[in-house]
Amino acid sequence: MPSRPPVDALRGSLDLLVLKTLSLSPMHGWGISQRVQQISDGELEMNQGSLYPALQRLEKAGLIASDWGVSDNNRQARFYRLTAAGRRALGNELESWKRFAAALDAVLRTT
Amino acid sequence: MKWFDAARIRLPLLFAGRAAEARMNDEFRFHIEMETERLMRAKGLAPDEARRQALAAFGGVEKHKEALRDGRGLAWLRGWSLNVKLGVRMCARYPGVTMAGVLAMAIGIGLGAAYLEGINDFLHPALPLDEGERIVGLQNWDLEENDPELRSMHDFVGWRQELGSVQNLGTFRSIERNLGVADGSAEPAQGAEISPSAFRMVRVPALLGRTLIDADEQRGAPPVIVLGHQLWRNRFAGDPGVVGRAVQVGNSTSTVVGVMPEGFAFPVSHHFWVPPGSNAQAYEPRQGPPIRIFGRLAPGVSLEEAQAELSALGLRASRELPATHEHLRPRVMKYTDLFVGDEDNWQAYLVQLFFVLLLLVLGSNVATMVFARTATREHEIAMRFALGASRGQILAQFFAEALVLALAATVLGLAAVALGAQWFTRLLWDVTQGQIPFWLDDSLNVTTVLYALVLAVLVSLVAGVMPALKATSSRARARLRHSAGAGDSALRFGGLWSAVIVVQVVFTVLILPPAIVSISALGEADHTDPGFAAEQYLSARVDMDMGPEFQATCDELRRRLLMKPGASRVTFASRLPGMGHPEAWVDVDGDGSAPGAAGELVMATAVGVNYFDAFGAEIVAGRAFNSGDLRTDAGVVVANEYFVNEILQGRNAIGRRIRYTTRYAQQAATGQPQGLPRSVMRERGQWYQIVGVVKNIGMDTTRDAFTSGQGPGVYHPLTPEAAASGGSYSVRIAFHVRGDAAAFAPQLREIARDVDPGLRLYDVLRMDGPVDRVSRNQRRMGRFFSSITGLVALIALLISVAGTYSVMSFTVSRQTREIGIRIALGADRRRIIAGVFSRAMVQIAVGIVLGAVTWFYVIVHVLGGRDRVGLLVVTAIVLMLVGLAACGGPVRRALRIEPIEALRNVD
Repeated sequence: MPSRPPVDALRGSLDLLVLKTLSLSPMHGWGISQRVQQISDGELEMNQGSLYPALQRLEKAGLIASDWGVSDNNRQARFYRLTAAGRRALGNELESWKRFAAALDAVLRTT
Repeated sequence: MKWFDAARIRLPLLFAGRAAEARMNDEFRFHIEMETERLMRAKGLAPDEARRQALAAFGGVEKHKEALRDGRGLAWLRGWSLNVKLGVRMCARYPGVTMAGVLAMAIGIGLGAAYLEGINDFLHPALPLDEGERIVGLQNWDLEENDPELRSMHDFVGWRQELGSVQNLGTFRSIERNLGVADGSAEPAQGAEISPSAFRMVRVPALLGRTLIDADEQRGAPPVIVLGHQLWRNRFAGDPGVVGRAVQVGNSTSTVVGVMPEGFAFPVSHHFWVPPGSNAQAYEPRQGPPIRIFGRLAPGVSLEEAQAELSALGLRASRELPATHEHLRPRVMKYTDLFVGDEDNWQAYLVQLFFVLLLLVLGSNVATMVFARTATREHEIAMRFALGASRGQILAQFFAEALVLALAATVLGLAAVALGAQWFTRLLWDVTQGQIPFWLDDSLNVTTVLYALVLAVLVSLVAGVMPALKATSSRARARLRHSAGAGDSALRFGGLWSAVIVVQVVFTVLILPPAIVSISALGEADHTDPGFAAEQYLSARVDMDMGPEFQATCDELRRRLLMKPGASRVTFASRLPGMGHPEAWVDVDGDGSAPGAAGELVMATAVGVNYFDAFGAEIVAGRAFNSGDLRTDAGVVVANEYFVNEILQGRNAIGRRIRYTTRYAQQAATGQPQGLPRSVMRERGQWYQIVGVVKNIGMDTTRDAFTSGQGPGVYHPLTPEAAASGGSYSVRIAFHVRGDAAAFAPQLREIARDVDPGLRLYDVLRMDGPVDRVSRNQRRMGRFFSSITGLVALIALLISVAGTYSVMSFTVSRQTREIGIRIALGADRRRIIAGVFSRAMVQIAVGIVLGAVTWFYVIVHVLGGRDRVGLLVVTAIVLMLVGLAACGGPVRRALRIEPIEALRNVD
């Protein structure tokens, strides 16, 4: 990453991506990182490890919850899922993100 | 219990932290293994390479872990657990400082905690009864005498009818009665004449039978008694069929109706209960027996509201009965305040402040030691600064280290207090023969423990943070930067450290003499030589109810004793030789040849006519008492030789007169000098003529545990008035026994029972030991307290010596390099040694002089203690030796340094 976006923006978008990812199905950390990379077509590259502080933050905020379960290859893994609050937050976030993106788009177009 | 809840939440979190850590590791491992497998599958990489790339993609594992740990929000706690770990390690590394520090702090914390414990137990005790805090005492306060008026039966009757805010109002009066059992023997026991409402109020049911009921109080009701558990077990062998039995109570017979459960001793320390014998309605205002009044606050009523209602009644009484009640103000108070007084005890808190100051002094003592140690850790501090630690973090570490010391000290101190409290309670139980208030509790209060913890934090701040603040100040840090790498240390020990040493020495000088005195007091003999063959005498305290036949009873006792073979020289007195005698202030008038004296302190007691004869005390001038002196208005005394020698400077005493001064009258008003002739108290100002001088026979003062000894005294004739004490007569009987005096005790009891079953005998003892409970107890209590002060003084002494040693040896070892260089440059070794030692000796000498001046001023001048020059000399020598030892080691080390070694370290 030659030029990093501001931390807040990154953090905000990472949270959004995690929530979006988990809205499909519960998933463990590695799965989330794979899915994020898949969705963004490899555009959004990041340290996979930075995912975990984000997960911890979201869990503390009550937007996601976690349980230990068994993965596809029969291993103990921690699965994260969206909570009701998380679902609501995702809606709001998506909404504001879209508005933000549209505004940004409009600005970029006019200049 | 907030602290407990907090601890309950926090402690599992500490362990939860460990579990969280393990889960985090599992999760990361899972992630990296999954990624490794994916890379192997997708890119066909070898396992090693796949794992390397997976780790790279993950980013710094430790960094993420740290982020997660911070996210858990317990970072500060783990930081502290590390600090505590470091603290424990430090303590183990410097066992000397640790031991001295822990002991010093333990003394400070222990004393503070013990004092608070004592205050709470004695001044603010909690009644171990159902809603005990709502039980109150009522009394009439006499504004004129500044004392309670206890003869308040008249008021009690009115209050019981009218007070709505206090329920179950009742009275009690302590009584002593011989309690007879089946085998015919009778021994005195402490009981209470108490209103039956008391048992409703305390809400304690009887173990056997019933408690007192209102019907027992009615005129003409059959006499009944309720027994305490102890009495039931000891005197009635725990007989389950005791209810319904008739027992002899003093001169009458009562039926046992119940037994109370173990530990029940309401109102204070009473072992049997009978209904009040007198008809309460019959008393005029301020007449009748002295009583105590108790009750329970009505539900929802506060003490203030009860006081308001009572005050209104009091005002009405003072209007309606101005003759008796003008100066009386009724008060309602916490029940236990009836006995301990509810004055603002700001003095008590002042003493508490003293203990806090003592702790701070001890803490700063530890601080100097810690500081000396801190100085050797400059490189550690510099290193931590270099690694980015903030000053706060370093301070926190030092605080934690001191806290480890202080917590160890707290545990030690509290353990000592707990042990001491138990020891003290047992001693109190022993010496009072079970007469201790039932609310005394020998276990530690929660507040005491909390207070000790607060003290621990306080002393940690002084001992830990202060040195660290100094060591991490910006000046010290600037120097640290310069000296990093060199073998020098940057903390400077200039005038400040000389001052510290001097203060240490002053402290030691002040501590050493009291330490030696109190320790040597422990070894002293218990008893002074009474001046007669005490082992051949038997003595006892005889109490009897008030009545006209005092003299006749004494005469009959004497007559019956003399009929027994072996008994002779029977005499009576308020105090016997070897007992503590009350003291009083007297004026002595002058006569033609000699001036008078004012305000002399003398001992006084009342004795039987043949008292001097019975103990073989020779009359050296004038005459002994004769039966003609037994009139209250006789106004004659016999003085002892001390009186003549010390007060009259050996001049003729016969015909001189003494008079008790108003200073004594004040004492008498507070009831302090018990056992003094009551007639004297009443007729203060009356002149007494000295008719004889007798050789000194064991008139001891017992002003306190430390100043006992014989001194000037006067004897009054033993009249019934002089024997009166409280509501009864109390005298001592003593007589000579041929053969084994102690073996005569049963015969004495038997004779006493024959003469009057109401006579109560206590302390039937041979006279070569302490002959009464009071003086025996005073000695035992004195020993208890002097052993505590001795121990404390000894430890304080060790600490101040250790402090002096550590600071001195430290300042000298700072000069190691300087000494090495000077020797390398060819300086004379002897001159260097002389320089170091003379500096040390000057510091110690200044300290000793200052200490001695303080000692003489404070102890001798202000407190009136004795000067002990010998002890000062000993102290000086000890401290000089300490100084030599403290300088010797470091100087020897410095001299051994190779010059090249010393020079190498120069910047």
